[in-house]
Amino acid sequence: MGKVAFVFFFLVIGGNVAAQPTHAQASAKQSPVEKGRYLAAAGDCVACHTATNGRPFIGGRPFHTPFGILYSTNITPDKKTGIGNYTLEDFTAAMRRGKGAHGNLYPAMPYTSYYLIPDEDIASLYAYFMQLPPVEYVAPDNDLFFPANLRFGLSVWNRIFFDKAPLSQPADKSPDWQRGNYLVNALGHCGECHTPRNFAFAMKNDEKFSGNILEGWDAVDIRPAALRRQGWDRERLRLLFTTGASEHGTAFGEMFSVVKYSLRHLSDNDINAIITYLLDDSEKMAGNAGNPQAAEKRYTQGRADFVAYCAACHGREGRGVTLSFAPPMDRNAAVRGDNPYNTIAVILRGLAAQRMDRTNARAGMPGFHRELDDVRVADLVNYMRTAWGGAENPVTVEDVAEIRRQLREHGYLGAVE
Amino acid sequence: MAKIPVAMVVNGEKVGPLEVEEYTSMLDFLQEYLNLTGTKLGCGIGVCRSCTILVEREDGSLEPVRSCINNVGRFNGRTVTTVEGQAEYNSEGDIVALSPIQQAFLRNFSFQCGWCTPGFVNAATALIDHLRREPVPADTIEAVIDEALGEHICRCTGYVRYYRAVREVIESTPGLLKEAD
Ligand code: FES
Ligand code: FES
Repeated sequence: MGKVAFVFFFLVIGGNVAAQPTHAQASAKQSPVEKGRYLAAAGDCVACHTATNGRPFIGGRPFHTPFGILYSTNITPDKKTGIGNYTLEDFTAAMRRGKGAHGNLYPAMPYTSYYLIPDEDIASLYAYFMQLPPVEYVAPDNDLFFPANLRFGLSVWNRIFFDKAPLSQPADKSPDWQRGNYLVNALGHCGECHTPRNFAFAMKNDEKFSGNILEGWDAVDIRPAALRRQGWDRERLRLLFTTGASEHGTAFGEMFSVVKYSLRHLSDNDINAIITYLLDDSEKMAGNAGNPQAAEKRYTQGRADFVAYCAACHGREGRGVTLSFAPPMDRNAAVRGDNPYNTIAVILRGLAAQRMDRTNARAGMPGFHRELDDVRVADLVNYMRTAWGGAENPVTVEDVAEIRRQLREHGYLGAVE
Repeated sequence: MAKIPVAMVVNGEKVGPLEVEEYTSMLDFLQEYLNLTGTKLGCGIGVCRSCTILVEREDGSLEPVRSCINNVGRFNGRTVTTVEGQAEYNSEGDIVALSPIQQAFLRNFSFQCGWCTPGFVNAATALIDHLRREPVPADTIEAVIDEALGEHICRCTGYVRYYRAVREVIESTPGLLKEAD
């Protein structure tokens, strides 16, 4: 108990670090509402609680889980359909323990991360949400299978899987690192996607941040060594987090919306803190590099397909044309990553067009699942990974076939042509 | 610069084999090698779709493909149709009849400068071909047209007349709409 109290005390101190002048966004002059607005961006609440083209925060976005479809709820302060009747205590219980007004919330609500948010920040978030314009809206009913459709099962789930370990803040780490630790683990709830889950959909905390396949994408390994191997450094990560794109890779899938709605709205200091935490004390390194000559010799069909299908956008020898058009491939993080999943999945399913704001958008990439069979995709991926990624193990035709099967089964093929 | 042999069927005629620099875009190949200048370069980065041409899939169905962002190698051995291949010609090479889509675009005054038109003609033709294989209920026409043409950009006349023309063709061609049940 003493330890918990101590850590909690520490967290509050940690929160106060943000109140020092170096962290402009949380300066003492900020009203709770303003601070809450900032924290809500850091927590990326809007991304989940908004349906496609829907009004912000009214919910209704579907989540396809292994147990059926869940819909996010209305978190505007409407008394009938939103959180208008929530007291600060109710709000705290929902945020930290997943306790909603009508029973336990499903752990798609990341209370498994938000429990680390200190009282002061919760109060600011509450102040922010309660002053939003109330909107009357009820999301569709969840469509879950037995036994996941029984909410009382969730208290059992919580007892077994909800590990409320306090955030450990090693004393030898800098305030910057500690702030990053808080932002990444608590508000940013990065682990909810980037940490593998067990059979009951709970995060495997001993494999934290080691990557996880979600909605047909690999939410990549974001541990320091993996990031370094892929060639990420401070500046490249800063570009990725603030603009969604860098010469070393672009954010796509859910990560694009994280950048759009959350990361790019954070202060420079907080972005720095996140990067400090993510890269930890790892050394800068060149990242995996490949051998284009060997690749060209070994994978002739792969190279021919790269020239025919990819090079018009990704450039001669993968060097890129211009970043706002398409990223180069010769230093791309997905190509350099140990796990070939995303390289294969992007080729098969393509990428949706992205719009960051009025003047900043990116055309999508067509998917090639109809035209390129497993043998050709494997050869193409092997060419790229050998030429630019320094991959040790070739991708097999079976690997591609299995990923294709999964993507097809979940309806992810054919969405972008 | 490495060259590759290129052979395909374009608008019903065999082309090649020709030795072509491997990084040549399909658009450049059509214009520079085949003198087919109907396919237009708009943005060059896959956004406006003025450069859309048609490629035959294995089952004979038509797939609209942007020729600016694909290099010529992708089309090797394939059967391709450009805007020049839409009308009917006589043995002298004169146009005797425009395609139903082309006629509808003219009737509706759908375009002004015409730069986007080859792309619209091809994409709309692919849509008609698709509906012939998979008819849709009449009340979904607007959505179906939007899905097929919504990404095509026109800077002159706008989209209303294009959509109206395509709707006319769909409604007047037997077999493209499902009977209401
Ligand atoms: S020129 Fe090809 S899409 Fe614009
Ligand atoms: S008619 Fe001029 S761009 Fe469409």
